[in-house]
Amino acid sequence: MVRASLMLLKDAGRGFCKSLSQILVCPLSKQPLRYSEETNSLISDAIGVSFPIKDGIPCLVPMDGKIIEADDMPKADDAADLSSKNNQ
Amino acid sequence: MRGLLSMYQRGSLSLWRRTKTLTTTNEPYRILLSGSFSTDPDGNQSSKVNIFDRQLKRKQRDRAAWLMRPNDSFVDAVAENLLDRLEDCKKSFPTALCLGGSLEAVRRLLGGRGGIEKLIMMDTSYDMIKLCKDTEKDVHNKNIETSYMVGDEEFLPLKESSVDVVLSCLGLHWTNDLPGSMIQCRLALKPDGIFLGAILGGETLKELRIACTVAQMEREGGISPRISPLAQVRDAGNLLSRAGFALPGVDVDEYVVKYQSALELIEHLRSMGETNALLQRNNMLNRETALATAAIYDSMFAAEDGTIPATFQVIFMTGWREHSSQQKAKRRGSATVSFKDIQKKFGNGN
Repeated sequence: MVRASLMLLKDAGRGFCKSLSQILVCPLSKQPLRYSEETNSLISDAIGVSFPIKDGIPCLVPMDGKIIEADDMPKADDAADLSSKNNQ
Repeated sequence: MRGLLSMYQRGSLSLWRRTKTLTTTNEPYRILLSGSFSTDPDGNQSSKVNIFDRQLKRKQRDRAAWLMRPNDSFVDAVAENLLDRLEDCKKSFPTALCLGGSLEAVRRLLGGRGGIEKLIMMDTSYDMIKLCKDTEKDVHNKNIETSYMVGDEEFLPLKESSVDVVLSCLGLHWTNDLPGSMIQCRLALKPDGIFLGAILGGETLKELRIACTVAQMEREGGISPRISPLAQVRDAGNLLSRAGFALPGVDVDEYVVKYQSALELIEHLRSMGETNALLQRNNMLNRETALATAAIYDSMFAAEDGTIPATFQVIFMTGWREHSSQQKAKRRGSATVSFKDIQKKFGNGN
């Protein structure tokens, strides 16, 4: 799982700065991020939150993150907990 | 009811006190209020106290991106002083992380110091980062690869051991959890990496603090917090060692900036994004009070030439991530020579 997301991150260089993608992690869980090309966002699989990339600048403030409602998110409940904490 | 209150008393004294003061003033809401204090899960679980409104600070920094002065002498002096510390190290720092605050000045004044090859700039404000990105071509740092991101210092989105130096110029004094942010900075550093931070200290804007208090007392008959609580010099050393930095170092500089009037001072603060962002702030500023503050500031502190001084105390903090090559104090009790013997040998004069 981790290896797969690392592979994807390597390809993510087109969307934003490549050297940045190698050291970025999720700000809440500190787990690796996955670049999603269709939504142009960084997805933290550990907590099921996506962070937008605006104009090549990744926005990794927890408030900017959106909870992903998809079915393939195994731990969607954790994500809801974390982000609701942050919204307070 | 008495039983309920005594239960709280046993649990926590401060809670009981709070309930008591409330019950004396608001008799009908007695049970409701005391209940809400005890059952609130967040109030009991998290020990975190929020002092600053981070969301407001973001907005203020967004505005500051538009108001920013091209060559602010105060900000430049602080950034210059901070970057000067890089020259004191023999080591070079290929990857640098520059945190919010006056990051534009840091980049402009870098001038090849510290052997930085990759610079990551991070701020909570998108507009500020966008501005830095747009003005990239004006800066003559050709061989530095700069990348940009929006992030919160309290939730640092960086992998462990990924950067060689963390620079933070006048930004960290707005974090609610300063030790937590500094611990995250330390974790983001590679072993033997350096943390360089400049924060505003407790003496900052002491004249404005006095003027605000006097004016509010005079016009409104009470005071509300207008200037944020800032770290004292002695706290800075504790902060560094609490965050686990090795070889901590703290030094202080005081800058006195002269303005034509108090209103100009406020404008300067606004352009730096340093205006009030306390959670408990008073949202209204009475026009009368504001003018009275300016007048009191002028009459109490004005210099002979008509300008008014404002003090900025800047605390510079230096800390290293631990590494085996660094010098360390020996374990207590591991000495093989007694101090008495040393005195016998060298202390002939006494």
